Amino acid sequence: MSALAQRSLDGAHTTGHYLTVVSGGELFAVSISRIREVIHCPRITRVPLCPEVVPGVINLRGAVVPLVDLAIRLGRRGTELTRRACIVVVEAEFDEGMRPVGVLVDAVEEAIETTDDMLEARPAFGAGLRQEFQAAMLHHEGRFVSVLELSAVLSVTELEGLVATHALAPGAARTKHV
Amino acid sequence: MDLEGRDTLVTEARDLLAGMESTLLELETLGHSDERINAIFRAAHTIKGSAGLFGLVNIERFTQRLENVLERVREGHDQVDAALMTVLLRASDYIGKLVDAIEAGLENEEPDAALRDELLAALDQRLTGAVMPAPHKPAEPARETALLHVSLRFDPTTLERGYCPTDFILHLGELGELAYVITLTSALPERARFVPSTLYFAFEVGLVSTATPADVEACFALIRELVTLRTFGASQLSDVHRALAPAHPRQAQRLKEELERLGTPLEDVPVYAPAALGHTAAPAGPFLPDADPATSIAAPRAQAARTVFPSAKQKNADERRAPEQRIVKVDATRLDQLINLVGELVIASEGARNTVSSGKRAEDVFEAMSKVSQLVELIRDRALHMRMTPIGEVFQRFPRVVRDVSRELGKQIALEISGAEAELDKSMVERLADPLTHIVRNAIDHGIEPVDERIRAGKSPEGQLRLHAYHESGCIVVQVSDDGRGLDPERLRAKAVERGLIAVDAVLSESECHDLIFAPGFSTAAQVTNLSGRGVGMDVVKRNVESLRGDVEIDSRLGEGTCFTIRLPLTLAIIDGFQVEVAGTTFVIPLDMVVECVDMRDVSGPQRILNLRDEPLPYLRLRDVFRLDASAAVRESLVVVSYAHQRVGLVVDRLLGNSQAVIKPLGEIFRRLHGVSSSTILGDGSVALILDVPSLISAATASGHKEGPARAGAMTAEARP
Repeated sequence: MSALAQRSLDGAHTTGHYLTVVSGGELFAVSISRIREVIHCPRITRVPLCPEVVPGVINLRGAVVPLVDLAIRLGRRGTELTRRACIVVVEAEFDEGMRPVGVLVDAVEEAIETTDDMLEARPAFGAGLRQEFQAAMLHHEGRFVSVLELSAVLSVTELEGLVATHALAPGAARTKHV
Repeated sequence: MDLEGRDTLVTEARDLLAGMESTLLELETLGHSDERINAIFRAAHTIKGSAGLFGLVNIERFTQRLENVLERVREGHDQVDAALMTVLLRASDYIGKLVDAIEAGLENEEPDAALRDELLAALDQRLTGAVMPAPHKPAEPARETALLHVSLRFDPTTLERGYCPTDFILHLGELGELAYVITLTSALPERARFVPSTLYFAFEVGLVSTATPADVEACFALIRELVTLRTFGASQLSDVHRALAPAHPRQAQRLKEELERLGTPLEDVPVYAPAALGHTAAPAGPFLPDADPATSIAAPRAQAARTVFPSAKQKNADERRAPEQRIVKVDATRLDQLINLVGELVIASEGARNTVSSGKRAEDVFEAMSKVSQLVELIRDRALHMRMTPIGEVFQRFPRVVRDVSRELGKQIALEISGAEAELDKSMVERLADPLTHIVRNAIDHGIEPVDERIRAGKSPEGQLRLHAYHESGCIVVQVSDDGRGLDPERLRAKAVERGLIAVDAVLSESECHDLIFAPGFSTAAQVTNLSGRGVGMDVVKRNVESLRGDVEIDSRLGEGTCFTIRLPLTLAIIDGFQVEVAGTTFVIPLDMVVECVDMRDVSGPQRILNLRDEPLPYLRLRDVFRLDASAAVRESLVVVSYAHQRVGLVVDRLLGNSQAVIKPLGEIFRRLHGVSSSTILGDGSVALILDVPSLISAATASGHKEGPARAGAMTAEARP
């Protein structure tokens, strides 16, 4: 349990800063430590043969940044590109080092400062999330909000696998290398 | 050593080593000439000199020995025979390793102690075993190790002039073992007057070695005018201690302790090697005056200073290791051309601004703009050109590889290199080296037959190996061909079945059999040799080349030889692109690969093959390939692309025209996605994907193979249900 608590947050004993976002109609919290910026959803270039969880790429001031649809990644229905839709640009761990990934969400709510007593270890079940996606629970204004473990949600290895298997799905196989 | 100095040294040393190696090989094949010997000597000498400047004792001392041997050859006292040739070549390899260590920031570590010892022994044997004594290194009688005490007084400006006393003391330690280093700190001023760049310390150093005082002085040759140096033999240590004690009680105490630790207490100092020391040892006269004896304050600082030195050094090394800074050598004329063009651009853009602000007609503005964009294009080309390196940089290592490998295997091989001037991106040149080496080794090991077998087969006893490079439609093509036994499709097939790589009844064409050698875990060598046959390699070769957006092809005839063809794009940075639109999405096709554009008329029907001027042309509809929105546009166009002598049509909705594309990688998430290689940013700020034409072509032709082997021209036909 101590390992869990430790892993759940960087320095749970101090106050932390979190950003709450809406994804698939639910509220989630992410630690701001790895968030680079939040931008309005620009024009997305779809990458063919990719699953919906990786809807495409965007131009972030000259860099081509891949997008991840958070709702689909968490097993919800896809994010709708309404006017409130935002992209949270997060540093993710690639082989070559930290690179930005755009996380597509329904909306960004607020930045909150937390104290120790607001954070609780994640429950064994009940959040409707894959265990490793959940870092902790955040008690905020009478509600429990799941804190997302971004390193797991944005696991590059896993995303790469998803793209590869989708591209090789039946019907696409004939256009592939053999 | 600062970062820049390090990089320059590494680059320079590598160049010199490469030159030295090729001259050595020339010496071997073309025979002795003074010019060649001089060239080798000069290379060794320059490496030694620059290493010495940076205090890189590892290289300096080793190269010194090498230079001594070469000196003897140069003066005609020795000859480069086969044995010496081997030693010299291996010595240049070893220096290469030392250079690698410097690049990694590990210059104080010994990369290969065993090799160093072996080579030094061989070089020494060369020096001493020869008839005449070496001019610079008279054979010395074996001497006992002795304690030598060295008093060092550096000029206060030593640090300002860029020298670090510790480097020299460490250098001194190379002669033997540093028994103690005692720092005299009494010259330290009070804090207010302390100048960080002034050297306040003096040093008392004990050295246990066979060195003579002259050797000690030689260590400080570089800063002769900045240091005052006295050496004392063991018998004079009591005097040293006495001279030290009044002004430096702590240090004197430490000296006494150190001497006791060494087993030579001051009371009864034994004589170690009086004959060697007696004649030069300076009288234990007065030490150079130190400033006011504020030892009590200074002592703790001295302690700190002693411990800080190594850790600061360590940290420095760590910092250096982190970012890899590379040096690209650029032809000065190319740089000048670029600067001229930039000058023109400045003028042209100024002109364009004037045209706009003075409210000229639209045509004039357009004219001015096109002038600017023309210059931008030229500058782009020139800038890219600066990264281009002749492929000869990779090729030059092969004479050595071929020599070593063919000797080891007892084969006779003539290497022919052509097209070494063909250029490609610097980064590609470096990454091409490994795959090429592997192919070459493989060709010598497996391809070219032993001499007797060649004679039986009616071939000349000497095997021919050819490296050839040339440019072809925006690519560079590198070929490695041999006139060996060729690949035996049946044997390859049998092996693949045995390894469980293919089914027993698999039907494979000859070229598919050849491609089996690229399968992971495949090896046909009956016996595992030192060189190849470990079943790792050819698959890695293929992977490496593919990671550079290139591919490898095999052409082999049984009994006649094998030719490997590697095709690579020239650069990974900017391309000329051709934009097309499919289902509302813009794609970019590398312009080099576009042959022509044709109007599509009748595209219905199951057959995916088009009659293009009476030639069958297979085509792919990108809309289907990428599973985009199914409703086809009313009018479609066909772009004919070609790669590696294959042509395929790509059906698109609209042709948008040429543009330059700065290549942006798509990143790891899309690494295993075929059909799209990378992306670029369009003028309107949106992202467009760059098509991976080779993978599209191979997809088209592979499905042709699979589904219609019975058709005429199977390669070009693909039937869809």
